[in-house]
Amino acid sequence: MSKKELNQVLGHADEADGIEEYDNPLPNWWLGLFYFTIVWGVLYGINYHFVAHNSEVKTLAAEMADADAKWPRQAEAAAATEVKLTPEAVAAGEAVLTANCVSCHGADMKGGIGPNLLDTTWIHGGAPENIVNTITKGVPEKGMLTWGPILGPEKIAEVAAYVISKNHEATGTPAVGEPAAPADTTKAGSPS
Amino acid sequence: MQYTAGTSVAGAARVEGVKYDEDIVKMFLIASVTWAVVGLLVGVIIALQLAWWPANLGLPWTTFGRLRPLHTNAVIFAFGGNIVFTGMYHSMQRLLKTRMWSDTLSRIHFWGWQLIIVSAAVTLPLGLTQAKEYAELIWPIDIAITLIWVVMAVNFFGTLAIRKVEHLYVAIWFYMSFVLVIAVLHITNSMAMPATLTRSYPVYAGLTDALVQWWYGHNAVGFFLTTPFLGLMYYYLPRISGRPVFSYRLSIIHFWALVFLYIWAGPHHLLYSALPEWAQTLGMIFSVMLIAPSWGGMLNGLLTLRGAWDRVRTDPILKFLVVAVSFYGMSTFEGPMMSIRAVNLLSHYTNWTIGHVHSGALGWNGMISFAMIYWLVPELWKRPLAHPTWPTAHFWLATIGIVLYTVSMWAAGLTEGLMWRAFDDSGLLKYPNFVDIVNQLHPFYWLRLVGGLMFLTGAIMMAINVFQTISRPSSSTAAAA
Repeated sequence: MSKKELNQVLGHADEADGIEEYDNPLPNWWLGLFYFTIVWGVLYGINYHFVAHNSEVKTLAAEMADADAKWPRQAEAAAATEVKLTPEAVAAGEAVLTANCVSCHGADMKGGIGPNLLDTTWIHGGAPENIVNTITKGVPEKGMLTWGPILGPEKIAEVAAYVISKNHEATGTPAVGEPAAPADTTKAGSPS
Repeated sequence: MQYTAGTSVAGAARVEGVKYDEDIVKMFLIASVTWAVVGLLVGVIIALQLAWWPANLGLPWTTFGRLRPLHTNAVIFAFGGNIVFTGMYHSMQRLLKTRMWSDTLSRIHFWGWQLIIVSAAVTLPLGLTQAKEYAELIWPIDIAITLIWVVMAVNFFGTLAIRKVEHLYVAIWFYMSFVLVIAVLHITNSMAMPATLTRSYPVYAGLTDALVQWWYGHNAVGFFLTTPFLGLMYYYLPRISGRPVFSYRLSIIHFWALVFLYIWAGPHHLLYSALPEWAQTLGMIFSVMLIAPSWGGMLNGLLTLRGAWDRVRTDPILKFLVVAVSFYGMSTFEGPMMSIRAVNLLSHYTNWTIGHVHSGALGWNGMISFAMIYWLVPELWKRPLAHPTWPTAHFWLATIGIVLYTVSMWAAGLTEGLMWRAFDDSGLLKYPNFVDIVNQLHPFYWLRLVGGLMFLTGAIMMAINVFQTISRPSSSTAAAA
């Protein structure tokens, strides 16, 4: 455009408290940006819904398939991991417990929000596979997290080993292989 | 045609036998300065609580959860609302060459609005809330807001009806969109069935409630913090700089594009939720289309300052205006980016959102308000500022404060967003314990507090300056003015 067209006042100032207005044309890059976002938005919507038939469910399924290929399923692996009461496993388990469990089960493991781990009551079974199962799947209705995907099978086996050894120390009773003795519900921290 | 700045009638208290109501402008200005300090102070307190939990004081009334809505309501509706009303009552009388239609309605509006703010300041710490973000106030207060809004709207349109000019200046269109759309948004979102005096149930259920809430929530940003403030920009920026508005054409096109597109963008708050995906897509693409219409406002602001840039170096009021318009452009680019699905996947629920909101609220709304206040006080009270050098110090405190605030929240947001989604070699979450992530954010919370404190300090300096200016006798300075 010619320079003459630029910076022409409209002459409305007397109706705008003395504020003059130019009527300059819209900057081309601004118009281009506006058209581009409109075209992009329409094309994106058409592509997402009608061409690629994209959806959150589809994206999730693809990500899960990727994850399955990269890392074997945790639940099966957890079941396969054996609880070994070696000193190394017990020591590693202590670290896992301190980092994750004490806020509910107490620093002394005698309960708090969650039940006492150092008594003879095993609400969900006291055998190693029961303990691993309880930790892995959690007890969502009581507020215990599903730790399987968070800790992984190895750490769960370690923390189970630590719980078993500490429990043995405290009660003098080997918990291994013994199901719950449900009579005593008066102990601190045991939900009734 | 060569432009000559300023005519003798511009800004005068009296034109063609009309005497403007200056008192109502002064009342709203004093209220907005007062609430600015209160709202920012509560913001600094809750920032401290996030960095140092004992600041919650162990009392239910002073915990973060109750003070946070007090902060948002105080800065948006008390500080923001009062400064918009200040500018509206000041500029529309001059633009329409008439006194307000009814002084009584103006005063009912003023006192009603302050009463609503006080009732919010009482009920929110008591834990009385509707639990809708930016619409927390309980139903009796919602009804009061509706009534006072109608009073204001009747006065607004009454004044339009008795105007002495044909042409409606662009600022008036922006004010009009504010008056109309906020009424519709507030009434629709606050529909509820009262159960007791302090409790009610929303008429919408589940997902519908969420969608109505974010249609409201996003447009509270659009029509409470954007369009009326653009109206203020279109009046005060050319008046203060003495430069003609860059393009009338651009103002028409970006106005209509902005109000049409904004109203659709709410669903971007519900990406990756149970909201049907076609609605999520609409929210996202309308947000992206908003970039250019938003930038139209920024362009018209910055290009209006052509020929006044030499004065920006020395005039703190122009500095405030330039930074305000620049932050407006920055945050209206950031917002659409965050509404894109892939970006939202990282940014949603993180502190990045908090940083984004504050670059808009502190940078755009705050800075343009400060410019207006520093320009209006000497105009209205007809005397120079008590401390003419303080505005420059305020400007630097506020600017550096905003930068610290936004940068720390960007860093915090990216940190937590990336930590949430990180996996280790065996496919497990790398940071399964939430507290590990919180510990990473801790230094950024302190840095944010420093930024907020600087911004608050500037605002307190402004309040002292304003109150000392208006309380000292005018006789000695009136002759000079």
